[in-house]
Amino acid sequence: MKNRTSSHFFILVLIVLVTAIAHYSVYYGALIRGYETSGITAGRNLLLLCLLAFLPILLKRFVKFEGNWTLYTTAILLFSIGLTVQYRLFSDPEYTSRRDKAEARQQKLKVLQMHYIQENYSAEKKQIMGLPATPPSPVDLSSETPRPAPEGYWDVYLSGKTINPILGILGLIAAFILLRRDNILELLQKNGFLIVLLTLGPLFIAAIWSSGGKFGGNLTPWELAKIPFLIGFAAILAVLYKNLARTYWGVPRAKDALPLIFMAVLPFLPFFVLKDFGQMMVFSSVYATLYLIAIRRFSQRFVLVGSVLLVVSILVVGALPEKTQEKIPLLPTLASPVKTILPDRIQQRFHLWLDGFNPPAPETSWWKQDYDNYYKRLVERDPNLPQMLAEDPNLQRTINIDAWFDELAFQPAQATFGLASGGTTGRGLGLGYPELIPVADSDYIFAALAEELGLFGGLLVTFALIVFVSAGVRTARDSRDMFSKLCSIGLASFIGFQALVNIGGITRALPMTGITLPFVSHGGFSLITSFIMLGMLMAFSHRNSVDRRNDELQISSLNLR
Amino acid sequence: MNFILLLLIDLTQWKPENVFGSQVLERTPSGLSIIYIIGLGILIGFLVITFFDNFRRHKFVFESELPVEIRRRLTQTVANRSLRIWHVFFVTIAFTVFGFQVYWTYFADEANEQFQALNYKDLRNRRANAASLRGWMLDRSGNLSSALAYYKLDKNGDVIRGFALEREMAHLLGTERGTPGLERTLYRKQTDPMPESWEVLTKIKKPQDEQKDVRITIDRDLQAFLAKQLEGKKGAIVVLNPQNGDLLGMYSNPSYSLDEAQTLENYLKLEGNKRDKPLLNRATREFYASGSTFKTFTMISAFRANKQNVLFPSYPGGFKPTSGSRPIVDSTQNLAADGSVSGVCDGGCQEKNITLSYKVSSNQYFAQLAIELGRERLRETAQLVGIAAVDSPEDALVQRFFPMIWNTSNPNIASALAPQQSSMVTGKDISLYDLGIQGMGQGYAGQMTPFQMALIASIPANIEGKLMKIRIEADQPPQTFSQVLSPQQAASIRGIMSTVTEESGGTGTVISAILAGTGIKTGGKTGTAEKLAPEYDAAGKLKTIKKRRKDVNGEWEDYFVPQMYERTDSWFITIAPIELPLLAIAVVVEGGGYGSRTAAPIAANVILKARDLGLLGDQYKTKTPTTPMTRKKKVVR
Repeated sequence: MKNRTSSHFFILVLIVLVTAIAHYSVYYGALIRGYETSGITAGRNLLLLCLLAFLPILLKRFVKFEGNWTLYTTAILLFSIGLTVQYRLFSDPEYTSRRDKAEARQQKLKVLQMHYIQENYSAEKKQIMGLPATPPSPVDLSSETPRPAPEGYWDVYLSGKTINPILGILGLIAAFILLRRDNILELLQKNGFLIVLLTLGPLFIAAIWSSGGKFGGNLTPWELAKIPFLIGFAAILAVLYKNLARTYWGVPRAKDALPLIFMAVLPFLPFFVLKDFGQMMVFSSVYATLYLIAIRRFSQRFVLVGSVLLVVSILVVGALPEKTQEKIPLLPTLASPVKTILPDRIQQRFHLWLDGFNPPAPETSWWKQDYDNYYKRLVERDPNLPQMLAEDPNLQRTINIDAWFDELAFQPAQATFGLASGGTTGRGLGLGYPELIPVADSDYIFAALAEELGLFGGLLVTFALIVFVSAGVRTARDSRDMFSKLCSIGLASFIGFQALVNIGGITRALPMTGITLPFVSHGGFSLITSFIMLGMLMAFSHRNSVDRRNDELQISSLNLR
Repeated sequence: MNFILLLLIDLTQWKPENVFGSQVLERTPSGLSIIYIIGLGILIGFLVITFFDNFRRHKFVFESELPVEIRRRLTQTVANRSLRIWHVFFVTIAFTVFGFQVYWTYFADEANEQFQALNYKDLRNRRANAASLRGWMLDRSGNLSSALAYYKLDKNGDVIRGFALEREMAHLLGTERGTPGLERTLYRKQTDPMPESWEVLTKIKKPQDEQKDVRITIDRDLQAFLAKQLEGKKGAIVVLNPQNGDLLGMYSNPSYSLDEAQTLENYLKLEGNKRDKPLLNRATREFYASGSTFKTFTMISAFRANKQNVLFPSYPGGFKPTSGSRPIVDSTQNLAADGSVSGVCDGGCQEKNITLSYKVSSNQYFAQLAIELGRERLRETAQLVGIAAVDSPEDALVQRFFPMIWNTSNPNIASALAPQQSSMVTGKDISLYDLGIQGMGQGYAGQMTPFQMALIASIPANIEGKLMKIRIEADQPPQTFSQVLSPQQAASIRGIMSTVTEESGGTGTVISAILAGTGIKTGGKTGTAEKLAPEYDAAGKLKTIKKRRKDVNGEWEDYFVPQMYERTDSWFITIAPIELPLLAIAVVVEGGGYGSRTAAPIAANVILKARDLGLLGDQYKTKTPTTPMTRKKKVVR
C-alpha cells in the first residue's frame, strides 16, 4: 500500500462496490415499506463515484500529481457515505413530499401492517377481516406493487444533487492546477490583504440581501469566502510571525500586532450580520490554530488560550440553565449581566444545548414569540382553551412542553432519539426512521447516519475524519515555507473543525449550529467549497513531494561526487 | 465449453435476499448494512496503512551516520512541534465528541432522567408500535367472531381498529389520550419493536403465530345489557363473580364513543362537559355516599368481632351517642331543626337483633353497633375490604388509587383500571356521633365507589368468606385479597341479606317480585343517600348564585358560588343465587330516589339476563328464553 495511484484506485473501486451494496440495502428496505427507490438516482450516484475513482488516473497522467493520495481517497470515502445516506433520505416519499406527508406515512404504515397480518394472523382471523384465509406465511415482496419512484432521467441528471458534485470536482481540479504553481502562490501571499477586502464587498451585499441565514432561496454562497479569508490570514501571519516574537516589555510592536488583529476580526463581521454562529465558531478555532502554530513565544500563546477560555467560560456561565446556576453560590448574580448582553439566538442555542429536554418558561424572551404563536393556533382550534387555562394552571405547563417539543426542540430532540435508537450496529439502512428529523440531509445528516449505521457508523466517520486531518497535518509539517504550512493546516482544520462542530452539535457535546458535515452533507456551496479546499490541500501536498524529489536529486548528485 | 458450464450457475441464488433468507424481510437490509460497515472499516484500515507508509519521511544517506539525538531533531521546528501538539489535541476532541454518541446510545437510557421521561415524545416508538398490531380482545367465550376489539379494513383498505361495544365499554377500553385503559395496557408488547441490525440477523424468527390476543372476563351480552339498563340515567353498575373475582360487567353512564374521542377537539369537548362528565368512569372513579348499603360493612365488622348477637334498642327521640350531641334517627323519623324528633322507629322502637335491624335498615341500631365495635375494629375491617381507614377528615381528601385489588398479569393493567380508593375516618379526633353515622353509611363514610360496594357485597357472597382479587384476564389464576370472614360467618350474613329481599317487610322485596317463578333466591341491601351536587341549566352551564363580600380594600364585590341541590342517589347491592352466589352486583343511580324504587329493579333485570346467559350455572338455565329483551347477537364487521 504505497502511495501508488494504482493502489488508491483499487481502494476507490472498492468504495464504489460497497456503496453499491449499501444502495441495494436502501432499495430493499424501501420495498419492505412499500415504495421503490429510484434506480436512476442510484445509477447517478455510482457513476459519480466511478468518475471520482478514475480521477486519480487522469490527474496522474495529465497533471503529474505526485502528492499524497490519502487526502483524496479519505474525502471520497466520506462523500460516498454521504451519498448513501442522502439516497436513503431522498428516496423516502414521506421525507421528500411537502404536501402529502401524512398520506405517504399512512401508505407506508399500511404496507407494514399488512405484512404483519400476513406473517402473524391465523387463517380464521384473516377470514374475519375479509382477507384470503391463509395460514401465517412469509411475505413475498415480488408479488407486491410498490409505490413507484417519481424521478425521470432529466430530473435526476440536471438536479443540483448531480451538478454540485460535478462543480465541486471541477473546482478541485482547478484549485489543484492553479495552486501548484509558484507564481500564483507568491501572488496570493503578497496580496493577502487585498483578497480579504475584495471578498468582503460581495459578502456584505449577500449578507444584506439574505434572509434567515439563507440567500436566494436555499443558498449559502458565503461558504466560498472561507478560502480567501484563510489565505489572507495565513499570508499576513506568515509575514508577521517573526516580528511578533520581538517584544518590548512583553508586548509586540503595534505595527506588527494591529494588522493581524484587524485581519482576524474582519471575517467575523459578515458572519455576525448573518447570525451564522457556526461559521464564527469554526473561524475562531481555525484562526486560533494558525496563531498558535505560527507564534513562537509561550506567553503570547498563553494570552490567546487564556482569553479564549475566559470568553467561552463567560458565555457558558451566562447561558447555564437557571436550575444549575442556583446550585452554585453567587453564580446567578454573576451571570445576570451576561444574560442581558447575549443575543437571543445564542441564548436559545445554549439552552437547547445544555438543557434541551427542559422547556424554558413561556415568558423567556427568546421563546415567548414561538410559544405565543403555538398557543394562538391552539386557541383557533379550541376557543374554550383560555377559560380552561384560567381554571387549571397546570395546563400551561403541558402546553409549554408540547410547544417546546413541537417547535424549537423538535429537530434536536428527534435527532437525539434517533442517535440513541441506533445502538451498536444501527437499525440497518432503510429500516430506521431518520425521515422523522426535518432537513436531516444537511445539518443533521450525522443523526440519520448514526440511526441506521449505529455507533460503528459514527466511529467510521470519526476515523475517516481523523485520517483526513492527520494527512493534512502531515502536509503542513512537510511544507517548506510558513505560508504553505499555515495554509495547509488551515485547510485541514477548517474541514476538521467544521465536522466536529457539526457532529458535536448533534451529539450535544457543543451547541448546535447550522453548519454542514463536510463531504457528507447534502449541500451546494458548502460541498463545492469542501472540494476546492481538498484540491488546494492536494496542491500543497504535491509541491512538498516535488520539493523533496528535487532535494533527493541534489543530494544524490552530491553523493556521486 | 466452460462458458456453458458457467450458465448452469443459478444467479438468483446469489441475490442478497436469498443469501440472507427471505423468511424475514428485514434480514436483507440488515445484513447488507453490516457488510457495508465492515467494508468501510476495512477500507479505512487500508487508508491508515497508506497514511503511515506514505508519510514515513524519506531518509537522506548522510543521516544514518549522524548521532540519534541530532537525527531526531533534524526537521523539528517550533511550528512543527506545535503542529504535532495540535494534532493530538484534535484527535482527543474528535474522540470526545464521539464519546457523546456513546453516551446517548448506551447510558442515556439509564442515567438521564429527563431523557427517559420524554420517551413518549419519540415519534419512532409510535411508528414501530403502529406497525406491529395490537392483539384482539375476546370476551368470555373466547370466540374470534365475537371479539370486543379487533382489526378490520376500512373502505380504503386501511387497517383500522374496531370495537364491538364501543360506547358500552369506552371506560374500560380507554382513549388514546388521557388516562390509559385496557386498549393501551392489556396486550403483550412485541419483545423489541426496534431491533438493531445484528439482532435482526441473529434473533428474529418469522413467521410465527404471535399470540397477543387476550380473553377477558367481561360477558359481551351482559355488558351491552348493562348499558341498556342505565340508558337515560346517570349511574354505574358493577357485576362481579364473588367466587373467583371475575369482572363480568362494569358500566358507567353517560359514556362516550371511542371514535368520537379520536380527535383533539371532540376530546376537549368531552373533557369540558362538566355536567355529564362522560369521560369519568363512575364505577371506579366517582365517590358516592353509599347510604344504608354500607351497613353490610358494619355487619361484617360485627361478625368479625363476634358481636353479632348484641341487641340495641331504638329510641323514639333518636339515639344520642353523647348527652349533648344531635340525635341519630331512623329514616322513618324526622329530625326538625330544633332537635325534636317525630315519627316512629324503623321496625318498632323495641330492642332489636342484627337480622331485623338489617332487614328494616335501622339507622339507630347500626350507629350503636359501630360505636360498640369501636374505631380499631372498624379500621381493621376497612383495611381487609380495601377501604382506606384514615386518621383525620383532611387525610380523607387525599386522592388514593387502589390497584392492589386487581389480579392482573401486568401492573400497568392494574393501574389503568385502579379504582379511587374509598375511605372512612377512624382517627381518635372524631366524635362518637361521627363514628356512629359512619356505621350507617353517612358522614365520613360518604366516599364510596360503586366498585368498592360490589367488593363488600362479594365478601359474604364468597363461600369461604374471602375477598377475591378482581381479574379481567380470563386466563389469570384466581387470587385472594384477604380472608375477611369464616365460611360460617359468611353463610350467616348471606342468611341475613336474604331477609331483605325474600321476606315480607324487607326493603328490597321488589327484587323477589321480579324474579318470581325463576327459583332464584337472592340477598341484598338497598340504600338511599343524599348528596349536595352543583346544578346545571338546560344548556349545560353551571348555575351560580351571586353573593357579595368585602374585598381586601373593604370594598364590596360580587362573587359567584355554584348553586347546589340535594340529590338523592339510589343504591342497591345484591348477591345471587343465595346458596352459592355467582353474582355480586352494585348499582347506583344518581338522583334515582329510593334504592328499592330505581336501583333494585335494575339489579333484578341484570340477574335475569345473567341467568339467560348461563352465568348462574346450569340449574337455572331456561329452556325457552323468557327474557324481557330479545337477545340480539351482534356480528363483528
